[in-house]
Amino acid sequence: MLSKVTTSRWTYATLRLVFTIVVILGVFGLFLFILGRDPVKAYRDTISANLLNPRGLSQVLVRMAPLILTALGVAIPFRAGLINIGAEGQFMLGALVGTWVAFQSQNLPLTLIAGMLGGALWALLPGLLKAKGIVNETISTLLLNYLAPLIVGYFVFGPWRAPELAMYPQTPELPEPTRLSLLFGTRLHLGFFLGLFFLLAYAYLVNRSRWGLELRTVGGNPEAARRLGLPVERWIMVAMMVGGALAGLAGIAEVAAIHGRLKMAISPGYGFMGFLVNWLAFANPVGILIMSFLMAFIASSGFTLQITQRLPYAAVNVLMSLILFTVLAKPLAKGVRG
Amino acid sequence: MSWFLSWISGAILYAAPILFPTLGEVMEQRTGMVNLGLEGLMLLGASVSFAVSYLTNNAWLGVLAAAGVGLLANMVYAWLVVKRNAHQLATGLALMFFGIGISALIGKPYVGQMAPTLPKYAVLGPTSLIFRYDLLVYLAFFLVPVVWFLLFRTRFGLRLRAVGESPAIAYAAGVSPEFMRFFVAALAGVLAAVGGAHLAVGITGTWSEGMTAGRGFIAVALVIFSRWNPLRAVLGALVFGGAVVLQLQLQARGIGVSAFILDMIPYVLTLLVLLIWGRGVRYVAPASLGRVYFGTERG
Amino acid sequence: MKRVVTVLAALLVGGIVLAGEPCLTVGMIIGGPKDDAGYNQAQYEALMTLKEKMPCVEILFAENVPEGEAEAVLESMIQQGAKLLFPAGFGYMFPALNLAKRYPDVIFMHPGGYMLADNFGTYFSNVQFAYYLLGVAAGLMTKTGKIGFIGGMPIAFVLGNCNAFHLGARAVNPNVTTYFVVTGAWVDRAKEVAATQALLQQGCDVIGSHLDSPIAVAQTVEAAGAFFVGYPSLAVQKFCPNAWVTGLGLTWGDFFADIAQQVLDGTWKPAHIRKGVEAGFITLGEFGPRVPEEVKKIVLEYKEKLISGELQPFAGPIRDQEGNIRIKEGEVWGPMDMGKFDWLVEGIVGSPK
Repeated sequence: MLSKVTTSRWTYATLRLVFTIVVILGVFGLFLFILGRDPVKAYRDTISANLLNPRGLSQVLVRMAPLILTALGVAIPFRAGLINIGAEGQFMLGALVGTWVAFQSQNLPLTLIAGMLGGALWALLPGLLKAKGIVNETISTLLLNYLAPLIVGYFVFGPWRAPELAMYPQTPELPEPTRLSLLFGTRLHLGFFLGLFFLLAYAYLVNRSRWGLELRTVGGNPEAARRLGLPVERWIMVAMMVGGALAGLAGIAEVAAIHGRLKMAISPGYGFMGFLVNWLAFANPVGILIMSFLMAFIASSGFTLQITQRLPYAAVNVLMSLILFTVLAKPLAKGVRG
Repeated sequence: MSWFLSWISGAILYAAPILFPTLGEVMEQRTGMVNLGLEGLMLLGASVSFAVSYLTNNAWLGVLAAAGVGLLANMVYAWLVVKRNAHQLATGLALMFFGIGISALIGKPYVGQMAPTLPKYAVLGPTSLIFRYDLLVYLAFFLVPVVWFLLFRTRFGLRLRAVGESPAIAYAAGVSPEFMRFFVAALAGVLAAVGGAHLAVGITGTWSEGMTAGRGFIAVALVIFSRWNPLRAVLGALVFGGAVVLQLQLQARGIGVSAFILDMIPYVLTLLVLLIWGRGVRYVAPASLGRVYFGTERG
Repeated sequence: MKRVVTVLAALLVGGIVLAGEPCLTVGMIIGGPKDDAGYNQAQYEALMTLKEKMPCVEILFAENVPEGEAEAVLESMIQQGAKLLFPAGFGYMFPALNLAKRYPDVIFMHPGGYMLADNFGTYFSNVQFAYYLLGVAAGLMTKTGKIGFIGGMPIAFVLGNCNAFHLGARAVNPNVTTYFVVTGAWVDRAKEVAATQALLQQGCDVIGSHLDSPIAVAQTVEAAGAFFVGYPSLAVQKFCPNAWVTGLGLTWGDFFADIAQQVLDGTWKPAHIRKGVEAGFITLGEFGPRVPEEVKKIVLEYKEKLISGELQPFAGPIRDQEGNIRIKEGEVWGPMDMGKFDWLVEGIVGSPK
């Protein structure tokens, strides 16, 4: 229906984005209303706390940083036709390997690269299994998500535990040179700008370069790609590794900037939220920017509203699922029989 | 020797909550649907069963209520996947988030409360602590041959599997793929929710957020592990249940292995099994799952 | 006439505004739910007692706050005017310290922390010493000579509690064996049940725990007809009415009210405040229905000795599981040594790692 009205791909994509945003805000309000809260006051509370207030806004951006990276971690494999639900595990492995290198090298760039390597390695196994046609990446990444925190726990409780912190397991503080400095007196850090950088790189490379074309061909039609002589298996593994690397970077950045040490509780589900961001944005770079901001805003609102409106934080999960349901139902498209 | 027996008895108990969703998912995948939302369904079942058990003072009513809620929730999944051709994996994840969130909201007033739990009955050996189970455990294992029989020895099962192999051909033969998928989704919703309910009012007698700890996802992996056959699914469930118990029994004996390493066993085992036996999977899987698993499923 | 009405109206509005103005805004965050019959509930109840004793105080409260969000949530409380904050979870120490640097006029009170700042103080109860009393009760109540202890994670405070439990039991029953099991998480109901069953199958008939919330353990013990000692909240008694022997509750309500008053008066000073049974920071619960009178008497005697200082649970010589002397003869460990435990006392079966 809509696609008959406008043939411009850009307009359609933009309209879809706007529609999604409207849906999100509308569902949020409706949801609050159903829970017996005043949506107008809730919106006012959260907008004033998280948008108009500079500290609040900077905190939204801080929450946005890992989301951009994990969303990219899902987006890149997605363009190759892969579903990467393992960003959560790749995040933690990146934090793990990055922390180790931080202690060994005391060097920031090496630490960050190590984080990317950790995430890439964790994504390599699922990529390999998928490329060889053994196991679908959905299952393998999910399983690895469960292994990752156990591995981190083993190290944090065991060989890496800070002795003076016998009460509460975490590593000693990361060496000073490896800490990501907080800028402008806020909690904003380099990780945010790295996220933007990779987003731009993604937008350019995937959509306008030859590599990107090959990647997208593999994703769009693997059979045709094979017949064209493209190394499909290799692209699958590369896509997974690059995705994992970015999720891993998110992990080490969170540790280096926010927590300052490795512990078990470093991800409140960034991997899954990144998956959602990617889905809502349809892997579109501008969409990823907007959706990760919106998600971060919703997460911040969850805390604000818990204090001002006694809304349990779990409501945020419900909200995200309702948004996803709405988008998945494709209300704008008429005939969806497939 | 009694160590071994108490381990087996614990393995059986902890296998039950996993067995329910696995059986449901075997059926779902046999009709060509992959449902990653089992975790959400289980949590819904757990929270609803505990709340209703508390309110009505009857644990079985809780289980029934959980079954109903699970059925309805999975209808959302079925509608999106069947009628709107939604991407199965993303829809499943949305269902997962939904279940996580709603269960937390439903369960909130009941955290830290007491509710009646299911009574236990001993079959072998009288008053000992071991081999005394609530009826749901017996039901879980009883359902295994039932589901097997249903799938492989009845006309209904034949039609069900036909839908999974090729919906178009099944349709031509007079079967409605849509109806079959909705029906199976209903069954799977009930089963997954009952699995969660068992965890809440059968084993632990409490509710706390996220208490299923990933069992919904293990179930999906177990389905592949079992090659879509309920009889092999039992093995997987027992391995998982056994690992949970083993870790604690070893500790109680002073055997000092890191709890984290022991915790990894079920997941590593599942991966290993997938690796070793996974090669032929492509040829055993219901054909229309190929769209989902092996690369061409698009949202 | 119009002027009178205006003045009256202004007075009324002013009165309402003044009446609505809180004397102090106090904030708290906890990592779990406030009704877990455990640690989080103890913190929440203390906050509520503060409010009861000082009705003019305004309370800001958030539960289930992940560590990564602690700083932001606390900061938003500060922006709503909070001047006294309780980041009531050990993992919040560093985020709270960061915030303390930026807001020197806000007071932070942290449970169990080990760092201080001009506006950052810590508090906790001397649990390990009181847990000795639970050990005494267990040693007297056990018929099999085996008692069990379930910990969440193998950290020093947990190990210390198990050690105290064991030492107390041995003081009245020299052949007692204590079995120590760790679930690996502060909250995992299924594992807690499995751990309890593993201990029961070993023959333990008195079980104690150090978890965020002991509900699942209590219920499992009740169903098995064994005995249970509770910690860290006495609210868990209702889950095991027959199995209940006694328990320890973390009770900081009066202390919180004192702190709030100090903040109001401007007399607050940073310190590591560690007090025990004698100061009401930790309360020994009532005894359960199956506890004989003589047992009650003995436990209460030990309690008196603890309060008077005559009883020192961690007085050397004390050996670890390998037989090495860990606390030498004549040496006594006090509250500030409780972070040093990475070993278990001899006679305990289980691993401290």
